[in-house]
Amino acid sequence: MDIVFQRPETLRENTTHYCPGCTHGIIHRQVAEVLDELGLRERTVGVAPVGCSVLAYNYFNCDFVEAAHGRAPAMATGIKRSRPDLIVFTYQGDGDLASIGMGEIVHAANRGEKICVIFVNNAIYGMTGGQMAPTTMPGQITTTSPKGRDVNEVGYPLRMSELLSSLRTPAFIVRTAVHTPKGMIETKNYIREAFQNQVDNKCFSLVEVLSTCPTNWGLNPNKATEWVEKNMVPYYPLKVFKRPGEEI
Amino acid sequence: MTITIGNGVELDRRLFAFVGNYGSGKTEVAVNFTIALSKVVKPVAIVDMDIVNPYFRCREAQEQLENEGIETIFPKGEYFWADLPIILPQVKGVLERKNGYVVLDVGGEDMGARILASLDDSLKEKDADYLFVLNLSRPFTDDVKGCLETFKMIEDAGKIRLTGIVLNTHLLLDTTPETIYNGYTKAREVAEKSRLPIRFVSIEKGLLAKLDMSQVPSPVLPLERIMRHPWDMKPVCRFGPKELTKAADLNQKNRKKS
Amino acid sequence: MAKKLMKGNEAIGEAAIHAGCTHYFGYPITPQTEIAEYLAKRLPEVGGVFLQAESELGAANMIYGSACTGTRVFTSSSSPGVSLMAEAMSYIAGSDIPAVFVNIMRAGPGLGGILPSQADYFQAVKGGGHGDYRCLVLAPSTVQEAVDLMVDAFDLADKYRSPVMLVGDGMIGQMMEPVEFKPRKQVALPPKDWATTGCKGRKPNVITSVFMDPEVLHQFNLKLGAKYEEMKKHEVRVETYKCDRQMDLLLVAYGTTARICKTSIDMLDELGIKAGLLRPITLFPYPEKELYATAKKASKVLVVEMSMGQMLEDVERILKGEKPIEFFGRTGGLIPAPEEVFDLAKKLVKK
Repeated sequence: MDIVFQRPETLRENTTHYCPGCTHGIIHRQVAEVLDELGLRERTVGVAPVGCSVLAYNYFNCDFVEAAHGRAPAMATGIKRSRPDLIVFTYQGDGDLASIGMGEIVHAANRGEKICVIFVNNAIYGMTGGQMAPTTMPGQITTTSPKGRDVNEVGYPLRMSELLSSLRTPAFIVRTAVHTPKGMIETKNYIREAFQNQVDNKCFSLVEVLSTCPTNWGLNPNKATEWVEKNMVPYYPLKVFKRPGEEI
Repeated sequence: MTITIGNGVELDRRLFAFVGNYGSGKTEVAVNFTIALSKVVKPVAIVDMDIVNPYFRCREAQEQLENEGIETIFPKGEYFWADLPIILPQVKGVLERKNGYVVLDVGGEDMGARILASLDDSLKEKDADYLFVLNLSRPFTDDVKGCLETFKMIEDAGKIRLTGIVLNTHLLLDTTPETIYNGYTKAREVAEKSRLPIRFVSIEKGLLAKLDMSQVPSPVLPLERIMRHPWDMKPVCRFGPKELTKAADLNQKNRKKS
Repeated sequence: MAKKLMKGNEAIGEAAIHAGCTHYFGYPITPQTEIAEYLAKRLPEVGGVFLQAESELGAANMIYGSACTGTRVFTSSSSPGVSLMAEAMSYIAGSDIPAVFVNIMRAGPGLGGILPSQADYFQAVKGGGHGDYRCLVLAPSTVQEAVDLMVDAFDLADKYRSPVMLVGDGMIGQMMEPVEFKPRKQVALPPKDWATTGCKGRKPNVITSVFMDPEVLHQFNLKLGAKYEEMKKHEVRVETYKCDRQMDLLLVAYGTTARICKTSIDMLDELGIKAGLLRPITLFPYPEKELYATAKKASKVLVVEMSMGQMLEDVERILKGEKPIEFFGRTGGLIPAPEEVFDLAKKLVKK
């Protein structure tokens, strides 16, 4: 009998703690499949963030470190600069990357660190229980924006891919989403492109993935994917913002 | 007009800028040089142009300098210890004077020398001596290659041409006659390769008396170590704020006994 | 190697290279910036890596990452910057990773001033970052000692898989003294089999300070505590000066302040006043037994610091009220003068 589908070697045989309908599991799997396909598992070091994916190392079957909140790009810089032969990726959420870690991500991108960043944007703080994120949508209700995000008080959601793609340093920056099968296929291709860039020692790569948080959004998984399409995609356009060689 | 200071150090210009790497002894040499100069000619002014590093600058010898009637130009009062690049407006004034002598104590490395380039509109008309203070016991200027690279770096940053070397090789209290002799031999090679003359050698007075000067056939500026460490006994000028007029004593509160 | 005349900061940089350190991540701040400037020139010459980070937060977390690969790495800063590094230090301690920090202390609190200070004693010795961790703290009083301790710092960090901090006041960083780089002692160190260097041929390594289970975290804290007890047993370093006699006064000071006290003690000798100095070289572990025993031979104790009295609290703790303890402190960048300590000592002895 032919095996047509199995757990990638880069994933451990553990059940994740992620909620039903959360897309972390899909994104984990895609990263793991890419590492398998490119034969990188044994020379990869992942950097886990603070956020829902803080325990990512329990699911990935490769070397992993756990960073302080927001500092994953700094830690990844330290690893990559010490061992350029390693493949280094960070896996960060929107609070980690776009709020507390804004300084670290901007400067890592601007230095052109040869690392991959998987940026999971679900417009809310998941781990701490549904607070407003820098990417929370206008009017979106969270525990710290109980009347909905008021853009006059706290500004508009940050578009990180747009912001980072304004840097002069060559980079691969793309926004994608995993709420549709088509999006999933595209996302995996972009993740592969990001890791291939690193294998080729080419550039900094960031894949922003629009993701869901049914629990903190208070929506069932189906409605959550609809919410991504209806609310997030119009504000966060899905596209390649930058590729090396296509500089502004 | 040619004047002579120290042991045969001949000078025929009115503006002297001491440049060099961090810790080469620029300040010690500049302060001693200025005091020696003021004993021969008047008026003399010294400008502390060290905007790179706020420790061990010639402003700390303010009292010794002013006692000799030397005009001192650097931020005073609140900004004395400031970690800010402050160039006083008086600096341009003093550079453009038609008479008198001026000594510039420039900050270390190319960073420090860069300030000369910023003042080049006042400096370019001037016939100035740009003297590189060289200590061959210091990192980055401990061989000929390092010296030549440093000379070029400082000339480029300051947009100047060096006019000579002041040899100031020493190891502080560990200096032996051999330190001086070996330094001199090496410095000759540096001088030859760089085509810069050794204008004078600065040697601490106590050590100078013990030297065989036939091994150091150059003019000498006898040096008094002015900048001292806080633990040195009875120093001329100890590092650190001098007056505690405003500072209340923090001590002498009797503590609980058993 | 011939003696070189070096500034403390440069010497610390060179000592790191001498110790086999290949990576440095830092951010400029007076009065320690020459460490970064020196290494920016020197590390590339020896095939190492120098990187200026975007902040002290960045720098400290970069050394955390670098250390995770088993690399010998350090960062340096001065007081306000070290406050920002406290985060990474706690994580490094919390994940059993060796790394070296240097603090060339300036006067605080806040932005304070750029002149010498010893007001970060609490920060270095009692925490700085959060959680039940300790940092092995080395306090040189000469440039040569800064070199020797900096070399040892890397071995100690590797031996204990712990952050090690070298603290000097601004004088230690800024002053120049002749130094030599002695051949390194060969120290047997545990293999870095925990490093995250790719899992080829082994199970994946995970470096983390997250413990979801309170009991497991408690066990980890017990393990850390045991490590600090080992440090107390094996790593205490102290110097005594003129303490081999009955003393009218025992001075306790470290770093630059200790050198000032030595001058004062020599001045007191001329008056027939017998004073001695106990100088802790390790601030953690503190030379507790040595202080207790030495103080037994003195009528009074005088603690001198460039702070409002921080190490003083340790001296009081250790002497348990058995000796009268006096304090002399200067802050703000003011440095105690030997004459000031001398005058106070005279008064205290007369009392």
